[in-house]
Amino acid sequence: MTAIRLENLVKRFGGFTALKSMDLSIGDGEFMALLGPSGCGKSTTMNMIAGMEEPSEGRILFGDRDMAGVAMGRRGVGFVFQNYAIFTHMTVRQNLDYGLRMARSPKAEIARRTAAIADLLQLGDLLDRPASGLSVNILQRVAIGRSAMMEPAIFLLDEPLSNVDAAFRAVMRTELKHIQREFRQTMVYVTHDQLEAMTMADRIAVMDHGVLQQVGTPLEVYNNPANVFVARFIGAPGMNLLAGVPVEGAEGLRIDLGALGRSAVLDAPLAAAARRAKGGVQFGFRPEQVDLVAAGAGLGMTVGFVERIGARTIVHLERDGITAKAVFDNDTRVLVGDLVHLAPHPGALRLFDAATGAALREV
Amino acid sequence: MTSAEISKDMPARPAAREADEGARLGLRLTLPAQLLVLFISVFPLLMQLYISLTDWSPLSGLGWPRAYELWNGFANYVDVAGDGRLWSALGRTALVMVVCVPVEFLLGLALATLFADSFPGKRVFYSILIMPMMVVPAVAGYMFYMLFQSGGPVNDILSSLLGMPVTVAWLSDPMLAMLAVMVADIWQWTPLMFLILLAGLVGVPEDQMKAATLLGASPWQKFRTIVLPRMKTIIIIALAIRVIECFKIFDTLFIMTGGGPGVATETISVYIYKITTQDLIWGYVAAIALVILLVLSVACVWAIKRMARKERAA
Amino acid sequence: MRRSPAFEAFRYAAILLACAITLVPILWMVSMAFKPIAEWQATGADLTWFPKEPTLDNFRYIFGESGSNLIVALDRTAAKPILSSLLSASLGTLIAMAAGTSAAYGLSRFGAGGNLPLALIQLRLFPPMAVMIPVMMMWSFLNLMDTWWGLALIYGIVTLPFAFWLMKTFFDDMPREIEEAALVEGCSRGRVFWRITLPMMRAPLASAALFVFILNWSDYLIALLLTTREWVTIPVYMASLSSSMTGQLYGAKAALGLIAAVPPVFLGIMIQRHLVRGLTFGALKQ
Repeated sequence: MTAIRLENLVKRFGGFTALKSMDLSIGDGEFMALLGPSGCGKSTTMNMIAGMEEPSEGRILFGDRDMAGVAMGRRGVGFVFQNYAIFTHMTVRQNLDYGLRMARSPKAEIARRTAAIADLLQLGDLLDRPASGLSVNILQRVAIGRSAMMEPAIFLLDEPLSNVDAAFRAVMRTELKHIQREFRQTMVYVTHDQLEAMTMADRIAVMDHGVLQQVGTPLEVYNNPANVFVARFIGAPGMNLLAGVPVEGAEGLRIDLGALGRSAVLDAPLAAAARRAKGGVQFGFRPEQVDLVAAGAGLGMTVGFVERIGARTIVHLERDGITAKAVFDNDTRVLVGDLVHLAPHPGALRLFDAATGAALREV
Repeated sequence: MTSAEISKDMPARPAAREADEGARLGLRLTLPAQLLVLFISVFPLLMQLYISLTDWSPLSGLGWPRAYELWNGFANYVDVAGDGRLWSALGRTALVMVVCVPVEFLLGLALATLFADSFPGKRVFYSILIMPMMVVPAVAGYMFYMLFQSGGPVNDILSSLLGMPVTVAWLSDPMLAMLAVMVADIWQWTPLMFLILLAGLVGVPEDQMKAATLLGASPWQKFRTIVLPRMKTIIIIALAIRVIECFKIFDTLFIMTGGGPGVATETISVYIYKITTQDLIWGYVAAIALVILLVLSVACVWAIKRMARKERAA
Repeated sequence: MRRSPAFEAFRYAAILLACAITLVPILWMVSMAFKPIAEWQATGADLTWFPKEPTLDNFRYIFGESGSNLIVALDRTAAKPILSSLLSASLGTLIAMAAGTSAAYGLSRFGAGGNLPLALIQLRLFPPMAVMIPVMMMWSFLNLMDTWWGLALIYGIVTLPFAFWLMKTFFDDMPREIEEAALVEGCSRGRVFWRITLPMMRAPLASAALFVFILNWSDYLIALLLTTREWVTIPVYMASLSSSMTGQLYGAKAALGLIAAVPPVFLGIMIQRHLVRGLTFGALKQ
C-alpha cells in the first residue's frame, strides 16, 4: 500500500495542454475518483501515474519515491482498462498468472497465488475456461485479478463500467466496492459518471479543462462545491445558479435577483462572505433543497414544464429568461403555467463570486 | 404481430419455396464459374493423361487424337523418376524457397514492426515500400538484369562501398546468378510479407500490449505471448502464399538468366518451359505435369483438411 | 506508446534504407528510359545515375522512329503489343469479374457452389506451367492461338479465383437487411441483385476489377506460350527485343518496361486498402 502525490503535474501534447499544473495527494488505501467530463485531463493524469505517458513538468511520488524514469512495468501499479484488455487467446488461468509467468516465479508460488485470487474473486470454476466469450462482470474480475496477482501497491481503473449496460452497472459497482474493501489498496478510479464516483469513492477529485477544480469527500463536493463548475457538474440536475446583486437593507443583506425579486435576509456569516464579492454574485441552491412558500415571500417563477421521473418530480421554472429547476415529491401539486414562490432551505444557500466563479465561503 | 401471425397472413412466399428458388438461383449464378473451372480442368487433365501415355510430340506429324499410335504405356512416368535434370530443377526451386521465403518473412516482419504505430511520413513510406510487388514481374526481371550487368549499378555501388573497382559478372557465374535471382525475388516479394504482416500486427489490440507491459512483460515476451499467437493464422497464410509462388517462380528469373548460365538457375517452371518449347517432347512433359499436379493436389487437400479440423477444434 | 529518440532515429534510418533499396532498381530503369544511346552501356567512371542528356528518343524508337542512326528502326513497333496487353487484360478482367462476382453472390447468399471454392484454391495453387501443354493444344484446336481474345479467355480463368474470393468477402461484409427489405417489398431475387446489390457494391467491384486487371497485365508466361507474333503482349515483346541482331537495346527496353510498370503501380497504390484482402484471398482484411 502506498500513498500517491502529484506535484505540479503538467502534460502538454504539442501545443495542446491536457493538464495544467495538478497537485493532488491520495492517501494510503484510499479510493480516489477522478471525475470530470471527457477531455478534462483525468485519463492523462491516470496514464502518467501508470507510466504510459511522461509528464511534461512536475513530479509523481509513490510514498517518498519519485517515479520519474521508472518504466511502466516496474511501478507496481495494477491497471484495469476500459475494455479490460483481457488476453482473449488464453484461458482465465493464463490471464491471471501472466505477470508471474513472465517474471518466472516458481511454479508452486504461481499456483498458490492463483488459487488465492481465484478464491477471492470467485473465479475458481472458470480457471480453465477460454477468456473469450465470458460475461462482462467475469471479465472485470479477471482484469482485476490479473493485476492483483502482482500484488500492486496501487490500483488504477480507467472507466471500467463505461461499456456495461445501465442495468448491470449497479451490480458491478457493488462488486467493485466490495473488492476494494477486500484488497484495501490505494485505488484511483477515472470516470465521467458522478454516480459511480459518489457511490464508491472515499474522495472525489473533480477536473475540468485540465484543471483540478475540487477535492473532497462525495458529500463535501455535493454540499459545498468550490466553484460554479463543480456546482453545476455534481448533482442531477445540477445546482441552480442565478445572477444576483447584494443589496444592504435595514434588516441586513439580501440578494437582488432582478425579475425574481429579492432573497430572504442572509445570515450574518454568509452576508459577510457576500460583501467580499466585487460586482455580482451567483445565487446557488440545490433543486432538491427548496420549498414552495406563500406568494410574496420567495422567488416568484412560472412553471414551464413538469418532468416526472418516478420517485420524484422535476419542475422546470422560468421567468424573464432566468431558468431554474426544483425537485419535489410526487405529491406536490404544480401545474404548467402556475406562478410559484420558492425559498431555498435554511442553510442550503451557496454564493459564488460572479467574476471568478469561486465559492464565497463563510470565514 | 408474432411470427406465426405473419406467416398466416402472408402465405405467398412459403419458406420451402423460397429456399428452393434460392437454390436454383444460386446454381445458375455459380454456373459460369463452374463451367470455366471444368473447361480448364477436365479437358486438359484428360488430354494430358492421354498424351502422357504416348511419345507424342507436335513434331511427330500426327494430330494429337492419333497419339495412341505412339503408345508407350508408363514409360514416361518411369523416366520422370529417373530424370536427373528434373530433380535438380526441383532442388533449385526448393533452394530458392528455403532462402527467399524466410528472408522475405523476417525482413517483412521487421518492417511491419517499424510501421506498427504512427509516425510522420508513414503513408508515403508505406506507398514506396509496397511498390515492388506491383511492378510487372517480367519488368522487375529486366530491372535486375540491368542492375547486375558487370558494368551495372550494383557493381558501381559495391565499388564505391569497397573502395576498389568491382566488375563481377553476376549473371554468368552459376552461384552468383542464383544469388542475383534470389535478390530480385526478395526485392519484389518482401513488400507482400510486409503488407500482410502489418495488417496482422495492427490487428493486435494495443490495450493488450499495454496490459502486458504493465504486468512486467519484456518486449520479447510480449512478442512471444501476445503478438505471435494472435498473428499465427496470418503468418501461416503469408508463408503459404509465398511458398506456393516460389514454387511457380518463372517470369523474373527467366528474363534475368533464362535458367542459365547452363542450367544453374533452372527451376521447375523453367525446365518444363524449355522441354516444352525446345525439346517439344510433349508426352513426357505431360507426365511431369501430371505428377506435379497430383502431388500438389494431395498436399493442398491435406493442408485444407488439417486447417479445417484445427478450426473446428478451436 | 512512449518511444525514445534513439528508437525514432533507428526507425527512420531503417525505413530510409529500405526505401532506398526499393527505389534503386525502379529509378535505374526510369533513368535508363531517358538516356541517349551513348549512355546506355557507360560503365565504371562513366556510369551515370541520371541521364546527362535526357531524351525521349527511346520512346520514339519503340514506336517506330529511328531516333539514332546507330540502331536500325524496328520492323514491329510497341503499339500493337500495348494494345494486345490492354485488350487481353481488360477482357480477361471482365470474364473473371462476371463469372467470379455471380458465383461469389451465389455462394455468399445461397450457399451454392459445392466444391467450387476448393477447386478455385487449387486452380490458384497449380503452376500454370503444368497445364500449359493441353491448353496450347486446346487453343490451337479452337483457333485461339496468338489472339488477344484467346489470351483473355485464359486470363479470365486464371484470375477467376481472385475475383471470386475478393467478391465473396465483399458480399459477406455487405449487410443483408437492405436486400431483405426489397424482397419483402416483392422484388424478385434477380431484380434485387441488379438494382440493389450491384449498385451498392460499385466501389468494391471497382477495386476487385482493378486488382484482377493488375494480375492479368502482369502475366508473362502464359502470353509467352500462347502468343507468337501477331498479338504478343508487352513483356513478351520486351523480351524479344534483346534477341534482335542489333544487340542489347537497354534504353528502348527500359522505356517499354516503364510503360508496362506504370499502370499497375499507379492502380495498386489506388487500391492499397484492398491489396491485403485480395492477395490473401480475403482471408485477411485491412
